Amino acid sequence: MRRKIATFTIILIVWIILTGKITMDILIVGIIVSLITTFLYSDLLFRKSNRKKSWIYHLKQLFYIILFIPVFFYEAFIAALKVSRHVFEKEPSFTPGIIKVKTKLTNVTALTILANLITLTPGTLTLDFDMRERAFFIHWIDVTTLQQAEARKETIERFENWLEVIFQ
Amino acid sequence: MGLRIIIAYLIMGGAILFAVITAVGLIRFPDVYTRIHASAVVLTISAVLLSIGVAIYVWQFYLSIKILLVGLIFLITNPLATHAIARASYRRKIAIPQVKSIDEYSGYLSRDQE
Repeated sequence: MRRKIATFTIILIVWIILTGKITMDILIVGIIVSLITTFLYSDLLFRKSNRKKSWIYHLKQLFYIILFIPVFFYEAFIAALKVSRHVFEKEPSFTPGIIKVKTKLTNVTALTILANLITLTPGTLTLDFDMRERAFFIHWIDVTTLQQAEARKETIERFENWLEVIFQ
Repeated sequence: MGLRIIIAYLIMGGAILFAVITAVGLIRFPDVYTRIHASAVVLTISAVLLSIGVAIYVWQFYLSIKILLVGLIFLITNPLATHAIARASYRRKIAIPQVKSIDEYSGYLSRDQE
């Protein structure tokens, strides 16, 4: 039930943003459309969680997510500058390669978000995930080290720690 | 021509700069995967900067939120497409990386076939 209410609220907010004004008839149509969409597809947006959490936990989660957004854009900006440096070299002098990086996260949502964040950051690109060993295969434009720990520190650790705090 | 317009133009100018860098990188880089790295610059930084700049330029509540929503949808859909292109072109052997120092993925794929 809580999942359905959350889905309904998000869809209604998006509807109001897309129409651009709040009048009575727009609201009625929006509520009808949101109700239909919610009853058909409410299991797609949020997964069912087996543990009951308090509202304070979710508020804390939201707070960390809002804190994480500027950190991510800072990291992405620095990585973009690093990739841009290669563009203007006379002979592009990079050493691309595919490395295997083990992760310590277990939550499926956190793993998905981590893979997307790695791909969004310029310079690293997720190719695959090995379920058996819990390892990402990352195409990295500048393989500076082959040591497992150092490669992990350079590529995923900055996001992994944040996600571990958010989805613990 | 207020201060807000100038800030908006500065942010959009930065986005255009990164887009030009991406275009040059797409021509200069050697193979598919490094070109994807070059395009990731325009996908994350440039799209977000451009949507923020346009949102500041327009400066009406609903329009700005709508533009930021478009930027958010960019951020959600781009890694999916990038990852799908890279993985498919590796697994279907459309383009095996030419320039490489280490390749740990081929071992994983051959382990699956045994």
